[in-house]
Amino acid sequence: MTGFLLRRLLLAVPTLLGVTVVVFATVALVPGDPVAAFLGPGAPPEARAELSARLGLDRPLPLRYLSWLRHALGGDLGTSIADQRPVGGLLLPAIGQTLVLTAAAFLLVLVGGVLLGAVGALRPPGPLGRLSGAATTLAVSAPQYSVALVLIAVVAVRLRWLPAGGTHDVFGDGGFADLARHLVLPAVAAALVPLGLTARVFRAALGSVLAGDLADGLRARGLSRAAVLRHCAHNASPALLAIGGLQLAYLLEGVVFVETLFARPGLGRLLYDALAARDLPLVQGGVLVVAAAFVGVNLLVDTAHAAVDPRTRS
Amino acid sequence: MARSPLRDPAVAVPAALALLIVLVAAAAPLLAPYDPAAGRLQDRLLDPGAPGHLLGTDGQGRDLLSRLIWAGRASLTGGLIPVAAATAAGTLIGTTAGLGGRVLEQALLRTLDVLYAFPGVLLAIAVATLLRPGLGATVLALSVVLTPAVARVAFTEVRRIRTAEYLEAARVSGAGPLALVLRQVVPVVAPVVLVYASSLVGLAVAYAAGLAFLGLGVAPPTPEWGAMLDELRPALFTHPWPAVLPGLAVLAVSVVFTTLGEGLRQRIGDRGALLPEAVR
Repeated sequence: MTGFLLRRLLLAVPTLLGVTVVVFATVALVPGDPVAAFLGPGAPPEARAELSARLGLDRPLPLRYLSWLRHALGGDLGTSIADQRPVGGLLLPAIGQTLVLTAAAFLLVLVGGVLLGAVGALRPPGPLGRLSGAATTLAVSAPQYSVALVLIAVVAVRLRWLPAGGTHDVFGDGGFADLARHLVLPAVAAALVPLGLTARVFRAALGSVLAGDLADGLRARGLSRAAVLRHCAHNASPALLAIGGLQLAYLLEGVVFVETLFARPGLGRLLYDALAARDLPLVQGGVLVVAAAFVGVNLLVDTAHAAVDPRTRS
Repeated sequence: MARSPLRDPAVAVPAALALLIVLVAAAAPLLAPYDPAAGRLQDRLLDPGAPGHLLGTDGQGRDLLSRLIWAGRASLTGGLIPVAAATAAGTLIGTTAGLGGRVLEQALLRTLDVLYAFPGVLLAIAVATLLRPGLGATVLALSVVLTPAVARVAFTEVRRIRTAEYLEAARVSGAGPLALVLRQVVPVVAPVVLVYASSLVGLAVAYAAGLAFLGLGVAPPTPEWGAMLDELRPALFTHPWPAVLPGLAVLAVSVVFTTLGEGLRQRIGDRGALLPEAVR
């Protein structure tokens, strides 16, 4: 296990460095001359040279990358162009908001995905199995923004059951119930794709365990249906960990659309606004934070998977 | 003797619907009742079912049915071309990694890992910010996003067969490297890669519209489903029905192509079941 962990950690380092190279490149390679953009086309050459030196643009690209990386590692991600505030300071509160939303959505993913998958595995030929199959396909292929819009139009605007946006009522107490009410629709919209994926994977895993020797053995020993199912579900559950990274990827990219449509001040919304304002340092910082978190969580998921299922350690 | 895939309803029904969607978009000039770019301001934001406008109008009084039909062109192009490009590039990379020796294999796989470290939309955003917003940016960004997934599938297939005896037999009978790849490897890898690629189309169309929604794809006034969503967003609270229509169009197209991909997967049996989940 220690060997596995070390190997996996060593593999994560070049991946993370690659991520920083890609993110740095997206800003360094953007067409257009930043010096000319600052000073205007008619600026004297001395002024251009001075600004260029001040911004570090006169140095070769690899050196600029290293100095950018040093700052980024220290938490300095530059200054937002639109806001004139440090990118790190803008990202931090947004990360908290996004964590709340992804955590709520992930809960839905697990509960809904496992239930839907179990129904599909237990009743494959009947109408219930077919219904769960159709629901799974619909969930997997429903783009988050379509789901978000339909939920807003139907549940919030027509039926007025739940609020259409924001994180709390303007005149509300900001208590748990208030926050939770605002969280329901965004969490559902963000959860649907990974929920369908989870259902699909769990259906396949549980189906193969139920058809295998373990289930036969348990039934032969006279265990009740429920007990057989419990043991088999236990055996099928590592499959959920195996797709943990994929689920997280879908949650994080769904957040870009969901937070924007539901007006929640998280990372996704920040990215949308930064893109609209062409605020590249903020876009770069946001993408870097999400990608780094993604690599980190993948590492955790793989470790957990290896801990519960020794076969994956090789 | 396997039945033709088109006799299998799990393939034929979604394939027919997919063809219909493509044909409707292609025949936009014949089918659309109005000019998609011309609006009458006094007909602003009509709800679906309004006289003369089956699906209503947008904030500039433009006919929504006509715009939805025309928008299919940009949205489908933004989804289909990247899948085709990623299929070609991914097969090339996966085959090279599988047959090119250990150093090349590791170099290519580690590079793919880096691209895999970005959730899809974020990688697309990173690539698209480098380019002028437009269909070209969408196509290039999505090609980059989809290529690693295809390359991995191709690599897995090549690794499966690279020690096969018939390859050795072809080698000792004097087949050059190119002939070996084209005659022996590609025919085995291609069906699996193509099936996998088909399951990416629904996702790619949704991504393409998503990028346009974020302002990185086709720019207004060109009709495009994602761009229309963004344009209609301010009307969501007063006129929810026109505002959700482009989203429903993307949803329908995505479901059709996903179902087609699933149907094709079942056709290749175990190798389909072992394919990675469509993603990213």
